[in-house]
Amino acid sequence: MATISLNHYLIVGAVLFCTGLFTMMTKRNAIGILIGVELVLNSVNVNLIAFDRYLGPNRMDGQLMALFVIVLAAAEAALAVGICINLYKNVATVDVDRATSLRG
Amino acid sequence: MTLLGQTSAWSGIPVGEHLWVFSPMIALIATMLAVVACPIVVGRSARTIARVATLGVIVTLGLTLATWGEVSTNPVSGLSTQPTSGMLIADNLSIGFQVILMVFLLGVIYLWKIGSAGSEENAPEFFILLLGSALGMILMVSTSNLLMIVLGIEMASLPSYAIVGFNKRDRKGAEASVKYMIFGAVCAAIMLYGVSLLYGMVGSLSVADLARYTVEQFAGGQHPLLLSVGLLCLLVGPAFKISAVPFHFWCPDAFEGARIEVTTWLSVASKAAGLILLARMVSTFAGAVDEPLAMSVLKPLAWTIGIMAAVTCTLGNFAAYPQQSVKRLLAYSSIAHAGYMMMAVAVFLHPQADRSGEPMAALMFYIIVYVFMNLGAFGVTALVSWETGSDRIEGFTGLMRRAPWLAVPMVVCLISLVGLPPMAGFLAKWWVLVALGSLADGWGANLAWFLIIVAVVNTLISLYYYLRIVVVMTLRDTGEPVIRSPIGGLALVNFCALMLLALLVVSAPLKATADRFSRNLFDATTVTQPAGEPVAAALDRAD
Repeated sequence: MATISLNHYLIVGAVLFCTGLFTMMTKRNAIGILIGVELVLNSVNVNLIAFDRYLGPNRMDGQLMALFVIVLAAAEAALAVGICINLYKNVATVDVDRATSLRG
Repeated sequence: MTLLGQTSAWSGIPVGEHLWVFSPMIALIATMLAVVACPIVVGRSARTIARVATLGVIVTLGLTLATWGEVSTNPVSGLSTQPTSGMLIADNLSIGFQVILMVFLLGVIYLWKIGSAGSEENAPEFFILLLGSALGMILMVSTSNLLMIVLGIEMASLPSYAIVGFNKRDRKGAEASVKYMIFGAVCAAIMLYGVSLLYGMVGSLSVADLARYTVEQFAGGQHPLLLSVGLLCLLVGPAFKISAVPFHFWCPDAFEGARIEVTTWLSVASKAAGLILLARMVSTFAGAVDEPLAMSVLKPLAWTIGIMAAVTCTLGNFAAYPQQSVKRLLAYSSIAHAGYMMMAVAVFLHPQADRSGEPMAALMFYIIVYVFMNLGAFGVTALVSWETGSDRIEGFTGLMRRAPWLAVPMVVCLISLVGLPPMAGFLAKWWVLVALGSLADGWGANLAWFLIIVAVVNTLISLYYYLRIVVVMTLRDTGEPVIRSPIGGLALVNFCALMLLALLVVSAPLKATADRFSRNLFDATTVTQPAGEPVAAALDRAD
């Protein structure tokens, strides 16, 4: 049975990134796009932690960064949902294609 | 403490004198706290809050000027035992940016006081967001660590998203903030993925290590795919702040939907912060090359930024043509100007070359002039639209008769934005061209000539749409009523116009100041020892 190596983690990270990117590009719903962003941020965390584990014994930079990324994702999500609620109150939709009063 | 002590980035807690150098940031945070405390202590009166914020910004500005002397001779890289990993840097560049930003912030607060203070119910929240984004921009320019760059960009962006949609019952504002937020979140996520890849390859979050690693890889004549992808993803973050093409889509929408004071703030501050961040990264990359003659290894990076700059200013100018809203027109004009400024960044000059300070000084000079041009142009637009209730170009018809004290400064600012001789905008463009010219006999001659031609052609293109407003103001008149503006507003826009004329006369000291801002940058060019083994070895071992 093969051991799990750095490559496996990186592949998981890349798959998460691609899924997130695909979600961001295809979804028209603002909440859907934000879910895509969260997926990408989680792929970043997988990469950072995996690099820390495999690159050397005393590495903390990546893990610290992962902690910050988690906080960042939470802050962004909180603000984003607030802004989406504001849009919903004004336009009665969170579909970004139907928010069309600004053009040109 | 032992846990933190093991890491490379956190082991050096700054001592007292370092805290003094970073006191402007601390003062800005204290101002935010004071604004939070204000409603509890003295009530939610908009004017009181504005006074507290103004006082805080003036104190910040004073502290910045007070620390400048010390910083200019002895730049500080804080929160690290290794001087090059620089979690927080205080040097001429960051101090210079703080001075410009605080002066500009005072102008924006003043504009807000004239226009919105009377009807504002949520002044404390507005100022927390405004000051928070200012703090984020300062953090962006005073670091050379990828983690802090990410945090600085987010710290600047998150309050900006909220402040764009600050009017809760405004449909346009709600739409603008959603578009801005979604675009920003996507760009931040892509940048973070790039940072994670670069961290794995380099083994460190310091930009200096990244630069050294990149130069080593590129010097062999090969351009590894993963490294290139990582660098491109990293570029997305600053490019989003600068609103460089193709990351500019948020800019016109956010600028049109937001209140005009917020538009003014974002149009200069967020772009200037992004440009200076990019310039600092670029100068670190240039510093990682061993000798000036070997700079051509960074050609791919210089061309990437250069082409982005050329496309940005061309597209900004062409998209401004059909606009009917002055706010939106100025938004596209700010994209174009970001392109001109980015050209100065694209000139990677080696720090030991004779003329290395020139691109950075040209950039700082441009930003100083740009502050006054945009504050004046947006100020006039604000005063007209508050009075007539619309920011369409037709609203400016006959302004020369209806409000000469608004029309004259607008003409001055617009001509300066074109970059025609009697105004300071001409000098700003001139210095960018000189900086490009300094590269024209070196390794990047093709790039330099390409950018010079693009800049000159674009100046001609931009003439038409700026002059369209001037023509509407001076030659047409449909007998609209006279516009009465508050005296403070008139003073502000006329002061800006006067500065644009005066800056031309006293350009030598201003250029000297810009030179001083760009001199003696914190020398983040020597490498730290990467703490771990390179990724290739780790991959071999793991298999």
